[in-house]
Amino acid sequence: MPISRRDFLLRSAGFVSVSAMVPRWAVAGTRMFEESVGAGAIGRTLVVLELMGGNDGLNTVVPYTDPVYAQVRSRIGLPLDTLLQLDGKLALNPAMSSLKALWDKNRVALVENVGYPNSSLSHFSSRDIWHTADPTLAQRQGWLGRWADAAIGNNSNPLACAAISQSLPRTLLADSVSVPSFVSLATYSYATDGAYAGDRNNQLNTFLLQGADQYEIENTFSEVTGLGNAAISSSNILQTVGSGYVSGGQYPAGSLGAGLLLIAQIINANVGARILYVTYGGFDNHANEDNDHDTLVKTVADGIKALFDDLDAHGKSHDVLLMTWSEFGRRVQDNASRGTDHGTAAPHFVVGDAVKPGIYGGPPNLSSLDANGNLKIENDFRSYYGTLLSDWLKADSAAILGAGWPNLGFINKRYI
Amino acid sequence: MNSVNWTRDAAAHLLRRAGFGGTPSEIDALYTRGLEGAVSSLLDYDSIDLTSYEAILAAKNYNLLNVRGIQQWFLDRMAFSPRPFQEKMTYFWNLHWTSGIAKVKGETLILNQNRTERQYAVGKFDDLVVKISQDPAMLYWLDNWLSRNTRPNENYARELMELFTLGVDNYTQTDVTEVARALTGWTIQGYTQADGYNGAFFVDNAAFHDNGSKTILGQTGNWNQLDAIRIILTDTDARGSVSGRFIGGKLWKFFAYDDPPDFIVDQLAAVYVSSGRVIREIVRAIFLAPEFYEAHTRKTWVRSPVEYAVAQIRMLEGTTDFSSAVNSLSGMGQVLFNPEDARGWDWGTSWMNTGTLFARASLANTFATNRGSSGTRFDTNNLLAGRDASTAEKVVDILADRLNISDVASDVRAAWIAYMNANDDGSRGAWTNTAGNVDKKVRGLVHLMLTSPAFHLA
Repeated sequence: MPISRRDFLLRSAGFVSVSAMVPRWAVAGTRMFEESVGAGAIGRTLVVLELMGGNDGLNTVVPYTDPVYAQVRSRIGLPLDTLLQLDGKLALNPAMSSLKALWDKNRVALVENVGYPNSSLSHFSSRDIWHTADPTLAQRQGWLGRWADAAIGNNSNPLACAAISQSLPRTLLADSVSVPSFVSLATYSYATDGAYAGDRNNQLNTFLLQGADQYEIENTFSEVTGLGNAAISSSNILQTVGSGYVSGGQYPAGSLGAGLLLIAQIINANVGARILYVTYGGFDNHANEDNDHDTLVKTVADGIKALFDDLDAHGKSHDVLLMTWSEFGRRVQDNASRGTDHGTAAPHFVVGDAVKPGIYGGPPNLSSLDANGNLKIENDFRSYYGTLLSDWLKADSAAILGAGWPNLGFINKRYI
Repeated sequence: MNSVNWTRDAAAHLLRRAGFGGTPSEIDALYTRGLEGAVSSLLDYDSIDLTSYEAILAAKNYNLLNVRGIQQWFLDRMAFSPRPFQEKMTYFWNLHWTSGIAKVKGETLILNQNRTERQYAVGKFDDLVVKISQDPAMLYWLDNWLSRNTRPNENYARELMELFTLGVDNYTQTDVTEVARALTGWTIQGYTQADGYNGAFFVDNAAFHDNGSKTILGQTGNWNQLDAIRIILTDTDARGSVSGRFIGGKLWKFFAYDDPPDFIVDQLAAVYVSSGRVIREIVRAIFLAPEFYEAHTRKTWVRSPVEYAVAQIRMLEGTTDFSSAVNSLSGMGQVLFNPEDARGWDWGTSWMNTGTLFARASLANTFATNRGSSGTRFDTNNLLAGRDASTAEKVVDILADRLNISDVASDVRAAWIAYMNANDDGSRGAWTNTAGNVDKKVRGLVHLMLTSPAFHLA
C-alpha cells in the first residue's frame, strides 16, 4: 500500500507522537468537523462584550430622581428631561435608545452596582481581577477559560471559544483549550508562495510539524508552540463563514459593529461556538467626557440592537445571550477637566430572550460613598458571573468561582 | 557567582537582546571583542558616529508629518542604525510610556516624544521622568494639561507611579490625589486644530498650580512638580529603593526574562542607587551578569511584532522601506505610536495568538517571496554565497544558523530537510542546488523558519 504524503512526512520526521496532535479538521476542513461534532453538542452561546477603560455607570444608567446627581455632575451631568426612563428611579442615557427598544421588548436585565470588595483603582489590576474572577490574582486562567477547561477540555472544537480581538483576552485563557483570536477573516489564513502553488501543501504540513508541542528549545512556551494547529484548524472552518452572508441588522460603523457582525456570522454558521468575545475601548474618560461618552454608549447600544436584529432575522436569538463588563465605574464627583477619575461599582447589561427582564439592585446610593468618594458595591461580580455560568452555560459555578455567591435570578426559569 | 562562559552563541544572544540580532559576520566581530568589550561596544555608543547613517536615513524621505512615516523612520533606525542599543533602549521607553496618536493627534508631538526618549535613553532616570512629565504628547495623552488646582485630574499622577516608576502596590489612593495636586500647573499651550495639533508646547502655569500643603509617600510640604518626582524616585522601604526595584526589574524582564528572582532585582536596585539612577549602568550590570548568559535565559523573550519585523530584515540582510512592516503592524497587534491605553502592550506570550500568527506569516511571506527589485526583499544567492549548499541538510543548517535557530529539536530540523527534498505531490525527491530550486525551496524554507516557534523567540 502506498503511503500518503502526510504519513511520509510524519514518518520521515520521526514524529509519531505529533500525528495525534494534528486535528482531523486541520486536514479535511469544515465537512469533517461537522461530522465529528454533531448538532446536539452545539448548545448555547454567550457573547461577552468588554468595555475597556472603565465605563461611567452614572452617565449610562442615571439615578434621575436623586438630587445629588445634578450636584456631583455639575459639569457633565445629562439633562434630566432627555433621559429614557426604565422605572421610577433609573433612566438610560438618551444616546442608548436602541437598548431601550430591547428593554421595551423585555430582552434586557440590568444588574446594578456590580464590583468586588476593596476595589482596585488601577485599570490593569482591576481588569485582571475581572478576567480571572479572583481579587487575589492567584489564578492564571480566566473565569471562562476555567469553564472551557471543564466543559470542553482536550477534545476541543477549534471554535468553541473565540475572541474578536487583537489579542487573546485573559478571560479566555485556558489550560487545555486553544482559543483563536482575529478581527477580520480576510487575512485569517497561512500565506504561502503564490509563485509555487504546488508547494503549498508541503509548506502547510511542515508548518504544522514545526509548530508541534514537542518543541525542544529550552524554555519554549506552549503558547507559542500549540498555536499553529489551532490557527490552521480554525482558519479552515472560518474560511466559509462570511461568504454569501445577508445581515439582518444595522451595525454601527467601526470596530465594534464589525466585530458583532462577525459574531453573528459565526453563530449562523453553526460551528459550535459557545463563547464569543469582543472588546470595545475608549471609556477612560478622565477629560471631556461630555464630548466622548455619549458616542461610546450609543455605539454599544446600537451594536447590541443590530446583533439581536440580525439573530432574529436568522432565527438564532433563542440560543444567544450577551453580557457586558468593564473594569470599574467612575468617580461620583466629576473633575475640573469635564471628566471622571477611576471609580468602583457600575451597572451591567445582560441581553437576550432568556433574561428575566428587570433591574437587579440599585439605584446607586450617591450619598453613601467610600473613603475615596466612590460608590459602594452591592452585587459581587462573582454573583453576576455565577448566574450566567449556572443558569445559561449549565456549569458548576462553585467549581469555577468558589461557593457562596448568591444567584441573582436574571435568567428566565424556562431556560434554566 | 560563576563567571560568564563567553562563546559565539553568547555573543549572538547578547546581540539579539541588546540590539535586534545580527548577521554571521556581526556576531563574529562581537565575539572577538570579549565580554566586556562586546558589552561596551554596544552600550557606550556616544562615540559611534551617526553622520553617515543620518544622511542615508534623511535621503529616504520618510514623511515625518504622518504617523506611517514616523513608524517607518523608527523601524529603519532599529534595523540600520550603527547604534543598535540606543534604538533598543528607545524602543524600551516606547513600550514603557508611549503616548497614542489616536488621542494626541499631533504627529510632531509623537515624533518629538520619541526623540526625547532617544536623547535621554541611557542617562539619569530623573531627567527622563521630568522630560516625559513635561512632554506635550504625554501631557495631552494622560490629561495633566487639563488638571487644575480646583479639582485635579488624577490620570497622569496615577500612571506616573503605577506604570512608570513604582508599581501598583507601592502607593495609596491618597498619594495619587496628592501627586495630582503637586503636578497641577504643568500644562501645554498652542494645541490647536489650525496646525494639526502639532504646535503644542510645554508651559509651567503657576495660576493652575495647587500651592497648598501635600503629603506624598509620607513626606509633607508645599511640594511642586519637581518635588513630587524627587520624592517618588527616592522613596525607599525596608528592602531599599522602590523605583530601583521597579525599573531594574522591568529592564531585566525586557533584556533577560520575566519574573526575576529577588536577589537579581535587589542587585539592580543597588546599582540604580549607587550610580545615581543612571540607566546605562543598570543595563551594563545586566549584560555582565553570568545569569544573563545561562541557558534558561536564552530564547525566553517572545519577539514583539516590531522586533519580529526588524530582526528578519537585519539577520537576512534584507532591503526595505518598511512599508510592508507598517502595513502588518495592526494585524500583528502592535501599531507603533498608537497603543490602546497607558500601559501600552503586554509583553511575552500575549503577543502570540492565532490571528497574530497568521499576520506574522503574511509579513514573512511577503518578504520571502518578493522577487522584484523594489519593496521588502532579500538576495537568496547572498545567503548561500561561498557555502556548500549541495544537500538539503546543508541548506537547512546554513539558514538555521543565520536565523540563530540551530537549537531546534532534531524532529523540526528533519521536517525542514524533508520539505527541501519533497516534490509537489509530497513524494520524496532530492534537493539539488539549481537556480530554480533556490528560488522555490530556499524562499519557502526561509518563510517556514520565520514562522516557526523558534524564530518568534529571541
